[in-house]
Amino acid sequence: MDFLSMITPLFLVLIFSGTVIGIIFGAVPGMTATMAVAVCLPLTYSLGLENGLALLLGLYVGGISGGLVPAILLNIPGTPSSIATTFDGYPMTQRGEGESALKIAIFASLFGGLFSLIVLYLFAPALADFAIQFSYVEKFLIIFLALTVMAALSSSMLIGIFSGVLGILVSLIGAYDVSVGGNGEYRLMFGFMEPYLSGGFSLLPVLIGVFGLSSILIEAAGGVPENEGAAKIALGHGKKFRLSIFRGEWSNLFRSASIGTFIGLLPGVGGSAASIMSYSQAKTFSKTPKEFGKGHPTGIVASEASNNGLTGGALVPLLSLGIPGDSTTAILIGAFTLQGIQVGPLFISGNLEIWNSMIVAMLFANIFMFAIMYFAIRHIAKIVTVPKYILLPIILMMCVVGSYTINYGIMFDVWTLLIFGLFGYLAYLIGLEIAPFIIGFILGPSAEIYFVKSLESFGTVSIFFTKSWIAGVLWLLIAASIGLSIWMSMAAGRHNDET
Amino acid sequence: MNLASFPNVSIDFATSHLVFPMLVSILLGLLLVAILATRWRTIWGAFTTGPYWPAGIDQLRFFGTIALTVLYFLAMPQIGDLFPNEGYGFLIASIPFLFLMSLLYLHRRSRRQIVIAAINAAIAPTVVWYLLSTVFNLTLP
Repeated sequence: MDFLSMITPLFLVLIFSGTVIGIIFGAVPGMTATMAVAVCLPLTYSLGLENGLALLLGLYVGGISGGLVPAILLNIPGTPSSIATTFDGYPMTQRGEGESALKIAIFASLFGGLFSLIVLYLFAPALADFAIQFSYVEKFLIIFLALTVMAALSSSMLIGIFSGVLGILVSLIGAYDVSVGGNGEYRLMFGFMEPYLSGGFSLLPVLIGVFGLSSILIEAAGGVPENEGAAKIALGHGKKFRLSIFRGEWSNLFRSASIGTFIGLLPGVGGSAASIMSYSQAKTFSKTPKEFGKGHPTGIVASEASNNGLTGGALVPLLSLGIPGDSTTAILIGAFTLQGIQVGPLFISGNLEIWNSMIVAMLFANIFMFAIMYFAIRHIAKIVTVPKYILLPIILMMCVVGSYTINYGIMFDVWTLLIFGLFGYLAYLIGLEIAPFIIGFILGPSAEIYFVKSLESFGTVSIFFTKSWIAGVLWLLIAASIGLSIWMSMAAGRHNDET
Repeated sequence: MNLASFPNVSIDFATSHLVFPMLVSILLGLLLVAILATRWRTIWGAFTTGPYWPAGIDQLRFFGTIALTVLYFLAMPQIGDLFPNEGYGFLIASIPFLFLMSLLYLHRRSRRQIVIAAINAAIAPTVVWYLLSTVFNLTLP
């Protein structure tokens, strides 16, 4: 029971604070869990990894959960992962059952979070044990598979792959790292950039730029509209919440949490996909599908159990393979990098204490999330009324702090923030996919090492097909994900033709 | 990379830094061609019919955000150099930046809202500066 010694008052306070701040970020439309984690990352520098992760995991769970508040009260998803919560949550609010809808969503969120935590605890060590046998060849194929899966589930496979490959290319700017066997030569840049870009663009300013600053630019381009509806928020005094609402919902809870956790396992696929997929499955299996969209609690349960199911699921590939499951867990890589710890197959066995502390932190984050939101829901609901003219400048300032402090005070990192903030806005404008871009950016340097070193060692391209049976299975999965994507786009084309 | 006897390849260590970027660039080029080939109607339509960016956006708030941000980034190290290792560059530059950004984003600039923006601009950077530079011992400009 060594891990009990890590539950210090500071550890609990950090989880609690993270959850509260996360809920605030999630509850304000336009701000996301990803932004919350990115902006608060600099605070973890001096906390140590265990306490730092406690804060960040609280932010993650709180951020994903907070999105349900405006989704139900204002018909605006606070985060993309709450999109399907609006379908039935808002009609309940219109009927005067806002408080009941919120409490249904909070219970479902708790269930989804705890379900995915159990999956994380059981599945990540097993996957990591298996992945230890991987050589550079299989590691390269895993990254290739991650990119194809991500692209297959993007709104357009071509755009998804393009965005991922662009992320890889941008990550290669700078010197070919000598510490991992490179020759130290520069590429993809001009000579005058060497003082700034010898190590390439720093990960965190890039992340904060595309997720933080670009969101502010999108808001600014849209005129920074205040939520006019926020002033007249009413939770209502209609039908009271009763736990009996969940009678008959167990299969929906398990199915939705499973879908969310599975979607979390897939790299780069966000919570919005989990939310919509679970909602449509709940509707398919329901005896009263016509009630959906009119304020049916089953729809809220499906959406919220699945998006919180994402949290544990997305940590599985991160902690067992070093591949982030979503954009928020991509930022968590930054926390590990800061403390000099590499996530991958050896992480769990080599850092048991940190692994246990993460599980405990996730457990407490879910419990705190439930307690805060259930008992203080009337106060939480007021968060959506905080004006953006106050919030957005503070967030921009925090983006600057995060970028500047990441490498202990380099002004170029602050300019990187601006460059990638503008890039994020441009990507939004022309329809590039940010999640594949970021996953490509994170995995690009590893992909290069695995690919080039495999060729240097074996001297033949065929090694990627013949190295082991695992390579064969990975190629089958790659082919399946591409096939699935083509089938999905053809099915969508047929559907469009019919309608 | 020598591809003369494909699938056998040999990589020269001196030029190994170019192998992967070259392959990725070729792949990116092919994907771009594929996107243009499959979506040329949409892309051409967008080019020919408009409206062209930045029409349709709030130009004052968008370009104002960028301009204020650039000025903020330029001012921070300049002020910081006057008081090395104190983080005052961040503190002194952040207060007017936050105030001007709030004014830019306000839709109705009533006296009450301007006072709230001013209080926020004074308190938020001070709290962040105190927490980060004193409590957490982090470097600020």
